[in-house]
Amino acid sequence: MNNEAVLIKDLTKWYGSFQALYGVDLTVQKGEILGFLGPNGAGKTTTIRCMLDQIRPTSGSIRLLGLNPQQQPTAVQERVGYLPGELHLEGSMRVDALLGYLQELRGNQISPDYFQDLVERLELDTARKIKNLSSGNKQKIGVVQALMHQPELLILDEPTSGLDPLMQQEVYRLLREAQSRGATVFFSSHILSEVEALADRVAIIRKGEIVEESTPGQLIEMALRRVVISFQEPTDVSPLEDIEGVKVLSRGADSQATLQVEGHMDQLIKALAEYPVKDLQTASHSLEEIFLKYYRDQTQEEN
Amino acid sequence: MFVEFKHTLRRYTGQILGWGIGLALLGVLLISVYDSLADQMELYQEMIQSMPENMMAFFGGQDVMATPEGFVAMEFFSYMPLILGIFAVQAGSGLLARDEEEGTLDLIMAHPISRTGLFLGRLLAFLLALAAILVLAWLGIVVPMNWSTMSLSLIEVARPFVSLYAVLIFFGSLGLLLSLVLPSRRWASLTTGLVLVAGFFIDGFAELNENLESIARLTPLNYYQHLEAFEGLKAEWLVGLFAVSLLFTGLAWWRYSRRDIRVAGEGGWKLTSLNPFSSSS
Repeated sequence: MNNEAVLIKDLTKWYGSFQALYGVDLTVQKGEILGFLGPNGAGKTTTIRCMLDQIRPTSGSIRLLGLNPQQQPTAVQERVGYLPGELHLEGSMRVDALLGYLQELRGNQISPDYFQDLVERLELDTARKIKNLSSGNKQKIGVVQALMHQPELLILDEPTSGLDPLMQQEVYRLLREAQSRGATVFFSSHILSEVEALADRVAIIRKGEIVEESTPGQLIEMALRRVVISFQEPTDVSPLEDIEGVKVLSRGADSQATLQVEGHMDQLIKALAEYPVKDLQTASHSLEEIFLKYYRDQTQEEN
Repeated sequence: MFVEFKHTLRRYTGQILGWGIGLALLGVLLISVYDSLADQMELYQEMIQSMPENMMAFFGGQDVMATPEGFVAMEFFSYMPLILGIFAVQAGSGLLARDEEEGTLDLIMAHPISRTGLFLGRLLAFLLALAAILVLAWLGIVVPMNWSTMSLSLIEVARPFVSLYAVLIFFGSLGLLLSLVLPSRRWASLTTGLVLVAGFFIDGFAELNENLESIARLTPLNYYQHLEAFEGLKAEWLVGLFAVSLLFTGLAWWRYSRRDIRVAGEGGWKLTSLNPFSSSS
C-alpha cells in the first residue's frame, strides 16, 4: 500500500526567464510532521502552490495521498487542509459567514463538535467582521478552516504567523492531535524552535533545491560543534587533527585549544583520554544555527 | 458550483439594489416628465424641431422624438450602455481578477471546487445580477405607465432591454477575458472601457457622417437597438452579440483553467504573458 502522503519528484518551475525550483525531490510519509525550512525566496511557497495546483509546474511530478493534483484537483482538495502563507480574507464578511461559506464549499462535511472545539480553543470571536480583526485573529480563521474538516494532509505555510505564544502552543497541540489521528502535516516556518519542537523531519530548501532532509536530532548531531578544551599543562593538540572531522581552530596561551568537530564526538573523546584534560566544553548547535549555516552559505555564494 | 454561484450573487446584492433601484427611479422620473410634456405636446414638438438636426440624428432623428418610444429611447436607452457599461466592465474584469489581486482566491481554490466550477458559478451569478438590474429598471418604466398617458406594451419596453443585455454581456465578457490576459484588472477595465466609450461615440457620429459607417460596423454598439427595438429585435444582431460574448467567455475559461494564480501584491504579469495562448511557466 502506498504510504507516502507527499511525493514530489524533480519538480521545476520557471516564471518567465526566472527559475524558481530546480528539481525538488521530497517525500513525506503518512502520519509524519515535516518542517519545511528555507530563507525568503528559496522556493517554499512556490513548492506549496504547485502542490495545490494553484500554479503549474514546468516539469516534474507531484502526488498527494497518491493523487495527481493537476489531474484530480478537487479529489486532492477534499482531503487536504491548506493555510496560505499570506492569508487574505474578504474583509466585509463576518467570521461565521466566511467559515459557513468555506464549509459549504466542503459540502458541509464538518463535525459541528470539532468545529466548535476549534473555535473555543483558539478563542475566535465568530460574530465579528473580518476587517475589524487583528492579524493574529485572522490567522486563527486560517487555522480553523484548515483543520475543521479533519483532513488527511495539512499543508500549512507559516501556521503560527501573527499568533501570540499561547496561541502558538495551542496550534502545536492541535497539530499533534491531528497527527495522532493519522494526519500528515507539511508545514513551513521561520520559527525554528517550533520546527525543532514539532517536526519529525526537516527539509531545508535553498535556491529552489532541497539541500538537507533529516530529523531535527540528526541535523543537530551532524552539525559542526565548537569544542573548547582546557589542559592541565601546555599540550600539542596537532595529532587531534588526524581524527576525521576535527579541525583545530586555535591554540590558546593558557593551555586551551578550540576545535571544530563535524559529526560524532566519539573518536575525539576517546583520543582525549590520552591527554591531561582539565575541562571540556561543547557548544551544542540548535536547528537555528544549522539553518543559518545554510543561509550563510547561500549568501557567500551570492557574494 | 452552486455554492460559488450563491456566494457571488450575495456579493452582488448591494450592486443589484443600488443600480436597479437607481435606474427604476430614473424610469419613474422619465414617465412623469413625459406626462407633464404630453400636456404641452405642441411646445415639446417645437422644442424638438428647434434643436440642431445633426444633434437629433445622434438619437434617431427629430420625427420620432415626440413619440413615446422615441422619448424613452432618447432619454433612457440611448446612453444606458455607457452607464450600465461601467457595472458590466467592472464586474466582468473583477469576476476572478479582483479576488486574485486581493489574494482571497488562494484560499477558495484550496477548497474542493474545480477551476471550471468556480468560473461558471461566478459567471452565472454575474449574468443573473445583470438581468436583475435590468428587470428592476424595466419595472421602473412599466409600473408607472399604469397611471401614465404613455401607451407602450410590456413587451415593447422589454425589447430594448434585451438588446441592452446582449451589449452589456459583450462588454462584461470582454472585460473578463482581458482581465485574464492583460497585466492587471485595472488594465482590463481601462481597455474595455475605452472600447465602450469609443464605440459609443463612433456609432453616434456615424449617424451624421457616412464615412464613419464602415468603422461603426466594427463597434459592438452598432448592433445595439434602442429605438428600433420597440418595433422588433433583429435576431441576427442579438445572436451575433451573444456568440461573440460566448467566444470571449470560452477563451477566458480556457485561459483561466490553464494559467497560474497570482499571489496578492505580486504585481502584473510580464509582457510575455500578454499572449493569451502562451502557457504560464
